[in-house]
Formats: sequence, structure tokens, C-alpha cells
Amino acid sequence: MSKTILIGSPNSGKSLLFNRLTGLNQKVANFPGITVNINAGKSLAHPSNEFLDFPGAYSLQTISGEEKVAVDAFYTALNDPETSTVVCVVDVTRLEKGLIFALQVINACAEHKKPLIIAANMIDVLEQHSMNMDIAKLEKALGVPVIAVSAKSGSGLEQLQDRAINHQQLPSAYSSDIIASDESLIHRQAQQLATDFGPKGDLLINAQTKLDEFFLHSWFGGLSFLVIMYLLFQSIFTWAAPVMDGVEGTLQLMAEFILPLLPAGVVSDFTADALFGGIGAFLVFVPQIFVLTLVVGMLEDSGYLARAAVICHKPLRLFGLTGKSFIPMLSSVACAIPGIYAARTVDSPRKRWLTYLAIPLMPCSARLPVYSLLIAAFIPASNMFGGLIGWQGLAMFGIYVFGIVCGLLVTALVSKTNKAMQSDLPFVLEMPPYRLPSWRPLLRNAWSRSKHFVTKAGKVIFLVTVVIWLLGYFPNQGADLGESWLGTMGQWIEPAFAPFGLDWKYGVAILTSFLAREVFVGTLGTLFGIEGGEENIISLAEHIQNSGLPVGAGFALLVFFSIALQCVSTLAVLRKETGSWRLPTQLFVSYSILAYAAAWLTFVIVQAVAG
Amino acid sequence: MTLWDLKQGTSATVQSFVSSLESSYRTRLSELGFHPGESISCVLSPSLGAPKLYRVNNSVYSLDDSVASLIEVGTQVGTGK
Repeated sequence: MSKTILIGSPNSGKSLLFNRLTGLNQKVANFPGITVNINAGKSLAHPSNEFLDFPGAYSLQTISGEEKVAVDAFYTALNDPETSTVVCVVDVTRLEKGLIFALQVINACAEHKKPLIIAANMIDVLEQHSMNMDIAKLEKALGVPVIAVSAKSGSGLEQLQDRAINHQQLPSAYSSDIIASDESLIHRQAQQLATDFGPKGDLLINAQTKLDEFFLHSWFGGLSFLVIMYLLFQSIFTWAAPVMDGVEGTLQLMAEFILPLLPAGVVSDFTADALFGGIGAFLVFVPQIFVLTLVVGMLEDSGYLARAAVICHKPLRLFGLTGKSFIPMLSSVACAIPGIYAARTVDSPRKRWLTYLAIPLMPCSARLPVYSLLIAAFIPASNMFGGLIGWQGLAMFGIYVFGIVCGLLVTALVSKTNKAMQSDLPFVLEMPPYRLPSWRPLLRNAWSRSKHFVTKAGKVIFLVTVVIWLLGYFPNQGADLGESWLGTMGQWIEPAFAPFGLDWKYGVAILTSFLAREVFVGTLGTLFGIEGGEENIISLAEHIQNSGLPVGAGFALLVFFSIALQCVSTLAVLRKETGSWRLPTQLFVSYSILAYAAAWLTFVIVQAVAG
Repeated sequence: MTLWDLKQGTSATVQSFVSSLESSYRTRLSELGFHPGESISCVLSPSLGAPKLYRVNNSVYSLDDSVASLIEVGTQVGTGK
């Protein structure tokens, strides 16, 4: 199989182009450096050809870890005999910047004898503003094919795919010393090419500046940031609620239809308690994960996230971090794993390390089912200000803020007391143009994240649910949960959780959640299912309300889950990124102790206030 | 004066880098367009010491004081706003 390398400077639209060429669903974002792994996919038009999407790089001379990964891999791929062509993606709205990198790629391809094509992307933006550029003359000047494409509208992609498999002419070096130290020479050459053949006028940059004047304004900017972040969390409840009700209703209908068909006994009890009670309770929360991924994706795609990084830079610096830490931290709100990978874009090693400390405390989507369940059980579903603000949404916002504040306090404390890796890199961040989000890839990404969440977590939840159900059902066929094997084991661990008002059922659910947080909901659903007997088809939140759990214990659980690092995958990825088990072990132990202590304190305070 | 001193709406030509700036970062800044002889304009200067926005040709970059104060520029052109 032949391979085509896709390379380009950050934010050139390369990932969206890759998705259009291969039909794959890679995360696309309008933020410099979002591709952190090399993705591969077969060409839709020519399946014998495979496209490889490389992380964006400003230069073949690297200064950050992320760029080094990309550039080393690029040179390795250039030496691979299977690599047939290189496609360098250039954003025509910022032609000069793209050409600085493209000129280096031309020389690298000439040296390694690989054919090269330049994809002049975002040509649709020029057309929209009645601007144009001279593609033919640029092609002649560079000595390599230049194809005008729009990854967004799809124009020119057919021609690009055909050329990718047919183009065999090797490029000549544009200048003999481009990869030499005189970077001003390459800049002058790129500038000249952009002036001679690029689009004329300041229309696009002026429009961008107008929006920046609002979104980065000292007051309006901060206010709009807070409103956007608040709407993000409010949408998790308001947009997802009808779908969640639909999922819950469907599961209930299915249970009412299926259960009477089954003979009374073990099979019927298992289906009701473990399948509908355990796994069903978890599935109800999937629409929220879909909405969260969709809204974060919209913010990334619009170009707003880079502005948010600028707004957050000064405040984050107080906590030892940088504005660039904001992107991995916000990605971690969806899932810590992409957040950890995105931390490669933090070029300062010290600030990247501090960002790793904050990431596990960000309120990830695996915490969402736990938070939603506890909020539904303890916070009334009423509104204020004529339905504008819901108490449950406000509570969700509060617990999210709590996790973020904990993360910042930890980094501030460590930053003040630990002076490791003091040499630092300054803050330089490119401002991408504002764009209307591309809905199709966003929806596909949200769908695939939800599917991945169900399939990945679903397997663990199914296994844990079956084990928990077997231990809770036998030896007395579900007659008395307290007398079951699980009940006996639960009594042993109950003293550990009694200080914050939890009985053994919650203790078992917490212990199983150390595999993955969302297992808590499935385990609890199964346990209440066994206990509830025939009346188990009510929502888990109602079960919790009926169980008489003190309000202090509910808040203690929220605090515990917002701090504890209960995710095997996060620990494994942290180990991969840092090269040792040291940091994951330190974080796991210290966050477990902190979570326990904070939960106990919360219980004591809330119970004292609640009387 | 340094790039950080540039007022919003004004521009100036880069003259040199302060010697304490690491060479790898000097190279990167040059590749981004902040090299001696290039005209840079300050498009946005928020208050409270937040990073400022600088335009180099058709690209805009945000730089904080830790780096913008290491780039020395010539006479400021324009009155600013």
C-alpha cells in the first residue's frame, strides 16, 4: 500500500482535510497544535493509498516536545520506501506563514527524493470575500504542483486525491540554505512569494481584529468568557434532558415488555437488577457526554479557545501555569486522556508538568454520571428567574468550579514549593481566524466519543455488574442483601466510609469505581435493584432518596469524586507521557488521601449546617 | 524601547533581541516573523497586563510581557488609541 504524508503548519486545516479525504473521524479543532498523534486512513477515492496525518509544526527546527515528535516522525516517513507522496497543507488566508514551512518541506522532499504537492487550503474563504490569488504563478515559482482546495466545502479534493497517487516528479530545492541558521532568508522568500501571488488586502485580518477587540476586551472579554463557560455547563442539563428522559423511558418500556416474558427466578432477577438496574442506569447519562463533547468541539472549531487561552494566561500564571494550559484543562473536562495528550502543546516542560497535576482534578465526563445522579437525588429540579437558571444546573456548575479550583490550588502550592525544571519558555500563541463550526465533523466526533465511552466503559461496567450481582444475589437468592456474600464483605469495609455517613453499599460502589468512576452508578444500580425486589424499576436517584442517605453524605460523595483519581486509563497514559510510574503513583496516592480527608470535612460541615 | 512598550494601533520595526533570550526561541520568533527589519503592529493591548496581540503580515500572535519585553524595536509609528 502506498502512503501519502499530510503535513502543514498548525491550524492550516489539515485535520479536517484528512477527515474529508479518508472519511475518518479525527478530532478537528481551530487551535494551534490539536493533532498530537499520527493518524492513518485509507483514501476514499483510491483505497490502495493511505493518508498519514502528522501533527502541525511551525518549522522543521523544533523547540517543543510535540514538534519533535512530529518532525522526527516526518523524517522517518520520508525514508520509508512505501511513502509515495507528501502533501503540504497551506492556509491561503495566511499564506506567508504557511509558505515559510512549505519552503522547508520542499527542501526536505528534494533531499529525500519524495514527490510533493502543495494543498492551498481555505480557498472558499477567499471566494466568500471576493478575493483571489495566482495559483498558477505560485506553482511555477515553487516548482511543485499547487492545488486549490477547501477542506470545508470539499472543492478540489478529487483533484488532490488523483494527484496524490499519480504525481511522481521530484521537487528541486528552493534555496540551498533554507534549513540553515539564517531564518530571515526563508522569511523574506516566503514574504516575497506571498506578496507576488497571494491574496491582497486586509479584509480578513480586520474582521478578526474587530472580533478580538470584543472577545479580548478587558471587561466584555472576561464577561463573555464567564457566560460562555456557564452556558457550556448549563447546556449539559438543558439540552441533554429530553434525550435522557427518552433513554430512561425506552429502558423502562423495554423492562416492562421483557421482564414478564421471563420465568421468575435467577434469569428474571439478573435481567432486572444487573441489566436494567446496573447498565441501564449508566446508559441514561450518555446524552450528556454527547452534548458536552459537541459544545467543547464547537468552541474549539470557532477559534474561541485560543482567545480563552489569552484571557486565562494572566490568572493561570498566578497558579504557576500558562494560558496554553487552558486547552488541555478544558479538553480534560470531556476526558483526561485527550487532555494529557494536548498538554504536549504546552512547550515549557515545567508548566506541562504542572498541567499534568491539574488535569486529573478537572471534572471529566466519567464524573458526570456520578454528579448527575447525586445532584438529581439531593438538589430540587426547580428554576429561578422565570426558568432562566435551574438549581441543578447551578449545582453542576458549582461542582465543576470546585474541581477546577482544587486543580489550581494544587498547582499553585507545588509551583511555590517545588523548583524543578525552572528554565522556562515564554508565551507566544497564534490567533487562528474565527470560523463558523463545521457541523458534520463535530456531530460525528460527539457521536464517536459517546460510542467509545459506552463500549470502553460498558465492558468494565458489565463485568463489574455481573460480579457484584452474583455476590449480592447469592447465597439467599436476593432475599436479603445484607446477608449476601457481598453484604458480609461490605460490613468489613463499612468502618472506612462510616465517618462520612455512608453505609456498606456506597463503600462497595466507591471501591469498584477505582477501576473507572462511572462504575459507581452501575454498581449502585445493581445493589438497589437486588434490594428493591419487584419495585426496582424506579430511577436510581429515587432509590438514593428513599435510602435515607444524609445530605452531608451526598455532598461528601460529590467532593470525594471530584478529587480522587479513580481512572486506570489516566494513570496509564500519564505513565506513557512522562516515561515512568513516579508521577501517576504520586498523584494516585496523594489525591486519594486528599479526597478522603476533604469528604470527611464536607460531611462534618454540611451536617452541622443542616442540623 | 521593547515590543511590550508598543501602544495599541501603533507599529515599529524589530531591531534586535535581548541577549538573555534563548537561541532556539530567537529562531522560532524569527520564523514567525519577529525578525530584525520586520514591521510589527500592536493590534490589541488589553489592560491588567494581559498578553497583547501583535500582527506580522497576515498573522496575529499573542505575546506576554516575558517575551515581548525581550524584543527591541525602533521608533513607534502612529499615535495609537
